[in-house]
Amino acid sequence: MKGVTRLVWIVIAAGLVLAPLGLPPFAMTLLTEAVILGLFAMSLDLMFGYTRLVSFGHAAAYGFGAYASGWLLLHTGMPLLFAVFAAALLTGVLAIGVGWMCTLATGVSFSMLTLALAQLLYAISFKWTSVTGGSDGLAGIPRTIGPFGFAALSSKTGFYYLALACLVGGFLVCLALVRSPFGAVLRGIRENEAKTTALGYNTRLYKIAVVAISYGLGGLAGALYAPFAGFANTELLFWLLSGQVLIMVIVGGSGTLVGPVLGAAFFMLMEHQLSAWTEAWALYFGLIFIAFVLFAPEGLWGLATRLRRPARPGP
Amino acid sequence: MSTFALLLSQVADALSQSALLFFLGVGLTLIFGLMRIVNFAHGALYMLGAFVGYSIASWSGSYWLALAGAPLVVGLFGVAFEYSILRRLYRRDAHAFLMVTFGLALVVGEAVRLTWGSDALKVPPPPMLSGVVFLLDQPFPVYRLFLAATGIVVAVAIWQFLERSRLGLLIRATSQNAEMASALGVDIKLVRSGVFGIGCGLAALGGVLAAPLVTASNGMAATVIIDAFVIVIIGGMGSFVGSLIGALLIGFVQVFGNYYAPDFALAFMYLVMLAVLVVRPGGLLGKES
Repeated sequence: MKGVTRLVWIVIAAGLVLAPLGLPPFAMTLLTEAVILGLFAMSLDLMFGYTRLVSFGHAAAYGFGAYASGWLLLHTGMPLLFAVFAAALLTGVLAIGVGWMCTLATGVSFSMLTLALAQLLYAISFKWTSVTGGSDGLAGIPRTIGPFGFAALSSKTGFYYLALACLVGGFLVCLALVRSPFGAVLRGIRENEAKTTALGYNTRLYKIAVVAISYGLGGLAGALYAPFAGFANTELLFWLLSGQVLIMVIVGGSGTLVGPVLGAAFFMLMEHQLSAWTEAWALYFGLIFIAFVLFAPEGLWGLATRLRRPARPGP
Repeated sequence: MSTFALLLSQVADALSQSALLFFLGVGLTLIFGLMRIVNFAHGALYMLGAFVGYSIASWSGSYWLALAGAPLVVGLFGVAFEYSILRRLYRRDAHAFLMVTFGLALVVGEAVRLTWGSDALKVPPPPMLSGVVFLLDQPFPVYRLFLAATGIVVAVAIWQFLERSRLGLLIRATSQNAEMASALGVDIKLVRSGVFGIGCGLAALGGVLAAPLVTASNGMAATVIIDAFVIVIIGGMGSFVGSLIGALLIGFVQVFGNYYAPDFALAFMYLVMLAVLVVRPGGLLGKES
C-alpha cells in the first residue's frame, strides 16, 4: 500500500507543477486561488487541529496580510516578493500581541476574543479611509517587478508558481513544527492542557507562539491574495471568511495539514461548479455541509485514508 | 428644542434598539446554555421570521397575526431541525454543530431568496402604531416606543417563565447538568427540542418586529448575527440576565455612538466587547470556561 500512496503523491505533485501547461487561463485563476486558500486553511489547522485553539477571527490574518501587501505595493514601490514576505512577517509579529491577549482566555472565550479582534479590524478598515480606501478597499494593486529580476513572477503562470512555492514551503514548515518537540507540546495542550502545565511547560508561551506562526502563515496567504486579485477589500476581514475557513479545515479533516488544503480546494470547486450550474448554489452548498457532518465526520482526508486502508473485519 | 428632550428621545431610541437586540441575543444564549451550540443560523432564522411575517401580514392584512404567526412557524421549524438533525450530533464535538448550523444558515438564506426574491419588502406597521408622539416637544415614532415596551414585556415574561414555571425549572436544571437532570427523570430530549424551538421563535419575533423599521431584506442575516454574538459574549454565554445587560449596553453604544461619533460607532461596539472579555473572559455574568 505504501508504494501506491507514494505514487498518488507523485502524480498530484507532478499535476500541480505541470498544470500551467495544460489548463486554460480561467482554470489557472481558480487553481491559484485554491492554492492561496489552501495555505490559509492550513495555517488555521496548526491552531485548530493541533492545539485545539479555535480561532474564530482568522480572517484578521488574511485580511491584514492582504491590506499590508496591497498598501506596500501601491505606495512604496516595493517589489512583489519583498512586499508579500514583509506583510506576512508584519502579520506574524503583530499576532504575538493577538496571541497574548486572546490566551488570557480559553475555550469558547478564546474564540470570541479572536472574533472581537477581527471585527475590530473590519470596523477600522471601513473607517480609516486614507489608508484602507474605506468601503472601496485598495484597488489596482500592481505586481511590481524588483531590481533583481523575478520578472516572471508577475505573469499569471509565474504568480501561480510563487503561490505554489509558498504553499509547499508553508507545508514543510508546518510539518517540521508538528513533528518537532514543539509540536508534541502543542498536542499535549490539545489533549490535556492542565497535565501539560503540570509537566512543567509554560503552555501560554507555546500557545502565543503557535498563534503568531499560524497568523503569520495566514497573513502570507492574504499577502498573496492582494496582488493575485489586484485588490483588497473589507470582505477579506469579515467574520464570514473566518467561518468559511474553519469549515474548509473541518471538511478537509483537521489535524492533518493536507486535509485543510483539500478542503479549501473542495470548497472553491463546489462554489464554482454549483454557481455555474444553478443560481441557488448556496442551498446545495449548505445541504452538502449538513450531509458531510452526518455521514463523513472525519472529513475528506479521513475518507481518502479510509478508502486507502481496507476496512477492518467486524467483531 | 432642549438638550434634555433630545437626550430623552435618544434614550427611548436606544431602548427600542436594545429590545431588538435582546430578542436575538436571548434565544442564542438559551440555546448555548442548554446545548453548548453556537447557533450560526440565528441570523438567518431572524430573517426568515421577517419574511414569513411579511407573507402573513400581506395575506391576512393583519400585522398582529404576523407577529404571532411568524415566531410560531419558525419555532416549529426549529423543533423539526433539532429533531431530525441536531439530535444525532450530541455525542459529537462542537465542530459538528458549527458546520451544521453554518449549513443551515446557507440553506435558509437561499430558500428565502428563492421564495421571496431579492428585493427588500416593506412591512407597514399597523395604523395604531404608525405616526409619531411628542416626548417633551421632540417627535418620536410610536413604533419605536412599542418596540421598547415589547422588549420589556418579553424580558419579564421569559424571566418569569425560567424562574417560576415547571418547564423553566427543567431548562435550568438541564443547563446546569444534563446528565444529572436526565438521571432524575427529565426528558432532556424534549427539553432540548423545546428550547431550540423557543430560541428560533424568539429570533423570528425579533425579525418581524424589526421588519417595519428596516424592511425585510436578504442582507439582514449577516449583519445581525454578529450583533447577537457580541451581546451574548458580553453578557456571558448561557446567561439570561447577561443577554439583557449585553443588549442594553450595545443598544446604547450603537445609538449614542451613531449620533455623537458616527465614524467610530462600529469600532466602539467591538472595543466594549474586547474590554469586557479581557477583564472577564467568560463575559459579565458567564462562568469562566
